[in-house]
Amino acid sequence: MSVLARSVGNAFRNKIRTAAVVAVLAVAIGLALSMLVANQAVGARIEELNASVGTTLTVNPAGGQGFEGGGEPLTAGEAAAAAAVPNVTSVVGTKALRLRTETTTTTDSTGAAGGATQPGAGGPGGQGASVTTSLTAAVDAGTLGNRNNSGTMNGTATNGTAQAPAFSLPITATGTAAEVDSTGKALDITSGTGLGDYAAASTKALVGTTLAEKNSLKVGSSFTIAGKTFTVAGTFDAGTTFGNNAIYLTLAEAQALAGTPGELSSMVVTVNSMENVDSTKAALQTALGTDKADVTQGQRNLETAVSSLNSVKGISLVAYIAALATAGLIILLIMVMLVRERRREIGVLKAIGARNRTIGVQFVLEALVLVALGSVVGAAIASFASGGIASALISSNSSTAATAQGGPGGFGGGFGGQGGPFGGATQLLSSVTASASPGVIAAGIAAVFAVAVVGSLVPALLTARIRPIEVLRGE
Amino acid sequence: MIEVKDLVRQFKSGDRTIKPVNGVSFELERGSLASIVGKSGSGKSTLLSLLGALDKPTSGDVVVDGVSLAGLPDSKLTEYRRRDIGFVFQQFNLIPNLSALDNVMLPMEFAGLRKAARAQRARELLAQVQLDSGKHQRRINRLSGGEQQRVAIARALANEPKLILADEPTGNLDEQTGEHIIELLSSLSRDHNTTILVVTHDRSLARRADRRFRLLQGALNEEAAARN
Repeated sequence: MSVLARSVGNAFRNKIRTAAVVAVLAVAIGLALSMLVANQAVGARIEELNASVGTTLTVNPAGGQGFEGGGEPLTAGEAAAAAAVPNVTSVVGTKALRLRTETTTTTDSTGAAGGATQPGAGGPGGQGASVTTSLTAAVDAGTLGNRNNSGTMNGTATNGTAQAPAFSLPITATGTAAEVDSTGKALDITSGTGLGDYAAASTKALVGTTLAEKNSLKVGSSFTIAGKTFTVAGTFDAGTTFGNNAIYLTLAEAQALAGTPGELSSMVVTVNSMENVDSTKAALQTALGTDKADVTQGQRNLETAVSSLNSVKGISLVAYIAALATAGLIILLIMVMLVRERRREIGVLKAIGARNRTIGVQFVLEALVLVALGSVVGAAIASFASGGIASALISSNSSTAATAQGGPGGFGGGFGGQGGPFGGATQLLSSVTASASPGVIAAGIAAVFAVAVVGSLVPALLTARIRPIEVLRGE
Repeated sequence: MIEVKDLVRQFKSGDRTIKPVNGVSFELERGSLASIVGKSGSGKSTLLSLLGALDKPTSGDVVVDGVSLAGLPDSKLTEYRRRDIGFVFQQFNLIPNLSALDNVMLPMEFAGLRKAARAQRARELLAQVQLDSGKHQRRINRLSGGEQQRVAIARALANEPKLILADEPTGNLDEQTGEHIIELLSSLSRDHNTTILVVTHDRSLARRADRRFRLLQGALNEEAAARN
């Protein structure tokens, strides 16, 4: 019989006690694994948030976001100044255009060629130049669109229903220096490819899915902007109907179409970490000048969400370590008890020639057998409980965060519709899904085994101190 | 050849110094059966523990085939117990959750014998001590006292030791079973050329020994004896 077989046999000597020990270990291990799963899930969510929009700042011409019109347009020089600000990792310039359907333009009641003189044609702050296209908008103007177009408050009928579209919505064209949208988020290209070199002028374009569908465009199809032919390099999905009524061009091409080379509508500035966003925002504002540019942090509430998630991550890490330590302590105490109980037997083994190392290994293996059983049950507990435990931790923290910021969606009604999908930290927090993946469970169990080895080493070393003469105790 | 030279073991008990073994010297030839008798507390088990390297003497030495145990490190004493000594105890001291066969195999496992070889030798030894083959796989706690002592004797013989130390081997057995065990030890000492030193209260066992010693207040005196 090998040492391992003897250890397994010893672990089951007293079945009732073994069951009790395994049950206690299972609870500790289950809790440790649940906390690890929650920690990993929250960590992944934090990374995801940081990687998406959490560390980006938007720079617009001063006053350019309001309806009062802006100051001077941004230039390549200001992009270079922004790039020189500490902690800035990238600056992506964009140039916005409004595309009006050629036929619509010619039949427009205002008779304004190219729509340049239509109300709001220049976009908020007059940033967007307006040019014609062969494309037809994929969406019709609703009450808000018509109201914006007419500049009056007659957008809603007296019975509260939306008016029939009085004009065609413009198509948004954005020239970009990288494959990102105006918030800095990577474009989701659903077919075809990107535009290649985004810095150079190119007749390739990315078309929103609904716009492509409306105009029967596929990869390789062509259309015109200001009489110039463009080829569809790919389609993208912005996630919203209006967002997909748009196209992307290279920055240089958009600037050329607008007739404003070197001019930018906005810049997306990425900061190296969430912690540096505030200081970088201030430094950026100083570097560019308050009369030249407005620096905004589009999804400010992300900071609150990430802060809460970091808190949950910290709590779950501490709880994981505590649960691991508890499992180790349980092993330590159980094995010390077993060593004391088997002093005479250890004396017998020594009397018949067993080395201290052999006896020590036997006790360590016995501890690992108990831990293995506890891990199986603990993993089952974790697979069922980890989601609930993570939710409990998160809801506890999000309540605190919500209270601190005046309740979920407390910024509702502000710019960008803060009551929307990113309308509150609570909603971001609740989107964390903790599921016990085999990799995380395996890593957790490996840690439990490591702790068990450490926990059982002390009693194993105690066996070395037991003298073989113990065999004669009571003889 | 086992030589015991002026062996002393003393303990402190409060202010008093107790010497259960006090200047014991004797020699035993290979293959001899010797007995030590004495009253309870006379130091018999202490002497046995010193001979078996379970304990270290305060002074004096035990020399086995020319090798002195005095000053040997614990690892060497472990090796000595594994290779040269077999123990038989009054309370058997078998591992309760192992089978008879596994108990006999244990010392051979510690000596590094391969599993097949130690299983075969264990079966042979259990056959020699006349344990039914049907009981080889039985757990110890399902064997009678006499059977357990047979297993303990088989275990003591596992690594072909030079010296078997038996501490009251018949103390927990009825008279008839005790008689069988005595007979067994006597024949084993002859057949295996193993020196057997028995500490006993049992006069019949003591009488069968080639040499008989009496331990009195830590001092050992040899009595005239003749092997039956």
